[in-house]
Amino acid sequence: MFAQLVDGIFWDIALWVFAIGVVWNILSIFRVGNKPDYSEPRGSAVAGAVATNLRRFMPRSEMVSRTRLQVIAGYLFHLGLFALLFFAAPHVLFIEAQTGLGWTSMPYWAFIIAAQLSFTGLLLLWVHRVMHPVTRLLSDMDDHMASILTFIVMLTGCMALVEAFEGLRVLHRFTVEILMVYFPFSRLMHAFMFIPSRAFTGAWFGRRGVKA
Amino acid sequence: MAAQTRTANRHHRIIIWSLLLLVAATLLLPLIPYAMDYVDPSGTVPNPGADLWRDVRNGNIGTSQVLGVDAGVLINDNGERWRHFRMNQLIPVGAMFMGSVLALIVLFYLVRGPLRIQGGATGKMIRRFSVFERTTHWFTVGLFWLLALTGLILLYGRFVLIPVLGPEGFGLTASACKEAHNLFGPMFLVALLMMFFTFVKDNIYARGDMTWLLKGGGMLGGDHVSAGRFNAGEKIWFWIAMIGGAVLIGSGFVLDFAVFGQGREVMAISHVLHGIAALIVITVSFGHIYLGTAGVEGTIGSMVNGEVDEAWAKSHHDRWYAEVKAAEGGGENEESAGGTAATGVASPARDA
Ligand code: HEM
Repeated sequence: MFAQLVDGIFWDIALWVFAIGVVWNILSIFRVGNKPDYSEPRGSAVAGAVATNLRRFMPRSEMVSRTRLQVIAGYLFHLGLFALLFFAAPHVLFIEAQTGLGWTSMPYWAFIIAAQLSFTGLLLLWVHRVMHPVTRLLSDMDDHMASILTFIVMLTGCMALVEAFEGLRVLHRFTVEILMVYFPFSRLMHAFMFIPSRAFTGAWFGRRGVKA
Repeated sequence: MAAQTRTANRHHRIIIWSLLLLVAATLLLPLIPYAMDYVDPSGTVPNPGADLWRDVRNGNIGTSQVLGVDAGVLINDNGERWRHFRMNQLIPVGAMFMGSVLALIVLFYLVRGPLRIQGGATGKMIRRFSVFERTTHWFTVGLFWLLALTGLILLYGRFVLIPVLGPEGFGLTASACKEAHNLFGPMFLVALLMMFFTFVKDNIYARGDMTWLLKGGGMLGGDHVSAGRFNAGEKIWFWIAMIGGAVLIGSGFVLDFAVFGQGREVMAISHVLHGIAALIVITVSFGHIYLGTAGVEGTIGSMVNGEVDEAWAKSHHDRWYAEVKAAEGGGENEESAGGTAATGVASPARDA
């Protein structure tokens, strides 16, 4: 019964909330628009947008020693999660069944290593967020919810690895659905917004001839 | 005609009797050696079947078409010994060990109560652990408990969870725990290395540690005993966690990656080491957790906020307190004064 709901109506609801929520969120940000800028451009906005997008992948040199842990853990988590999400065999098969689009998946050992790196990164990032006085102060419920939900989704996923128990698969899918419903209303939106937001900052400064 | 019938009847009789004889022979012949053995026990006639099974039972290696480690061993006799150890020693003794230490801690708390800060808290705080040190600690704790809980469910779930969840429910839980345990296990290596390199410098034996130990750390009454950044009890915990952790990781790798030609015997030994080390580290961690939380007033703040009350520092780690004060008073540059082995002061540079 629960399994039928999770595979059926819950999934449909989660998918729609996710899709509409994400599109709505992005549109509402873009609809705010820009005031016309009549000043003489001193540099290229496009070059600024691209450069800032790339530059943000590395910490500023003054910050390297202070942010080493977050940078390493951040990369571990995000790259691992990306690999898991799009290249783990069960996910590839699922996407193929849903959309007809399929691609080559990772071998099992790579899947496991990706999961371990990702878990290591996520745990370190979250513990660091809570331990650092500044990020502790800046973080609100949403930040913690995002970390905890992501952790739970990954945990139920790894618990279902044997693919022998229907209950574990359903549990994993259910937690994914909760995450999908939560996603558009949270800072998890940065998955879609980090490139446009860097581009905006980069373009704004780039047009004024300033390195951002 | 009558002669013909008689001949036919005789044939039938012969056939029936022959059949009966055959059946009797089939049933009785194999008993002859036993009968002879009964009559004359000294002259045992070997039984090829028994010999074969005796060989198998002793774990003698035969030949097999199957390629693989131990494929020639039909019955792994040591497996029985290992099973016996797990069911009759590891599980009950482990439970008693953990249970009695927990009971002792509760009893100690009820009798002695928490160790109070001498003279009460002053409200003046000093830095004890950097952000990095605390992140390392809690990252390790998170992994440790994920592993400990899933591991304990695998060891004790059969007794504790089957009555609650039923066999189906426990099957699912055990599978989930096994996968999580196997996945988190190798990550503990990262945590343990971080922990080792972060804390080792202040956990080396130093003068005064023996006195601290002989006086029971002041836990049994009397005055607070002098200590550096970490007291002898904490140092012992550090080394139990590190050595126990190393054994857990080493044996865990042998069990997790059965692709390097290790046979069942190596696996059984690794399992025994893994179980014993796990139960020791988990049990000792109860003491550590008690002392870090309810047992000693004002301690938990050191790992949560990185700060302790000056009075706490003076009463529990007076030599460390003096070092911190000397470093402050010496007007040294904060960045370079921090985190040195000499002072053990948390490094502000790593705090960002
Ligand atoms: C919920 C569980 C735990 C709690 C509440 C806890 C709490 C604490 C606290 C409050 C301190 C600081 C003590 C001081 O200021 O001197 C500390 C230190 C420490 N803890 Fe834990 N801890 C826990 C679990 C663990 C585990 C599982 C490990 C290792 C696997 C561990 C290893 C250490 C080490 C190495 C130190 C530094 C002291 C030393 O090096 O001797 N802790 N812990």
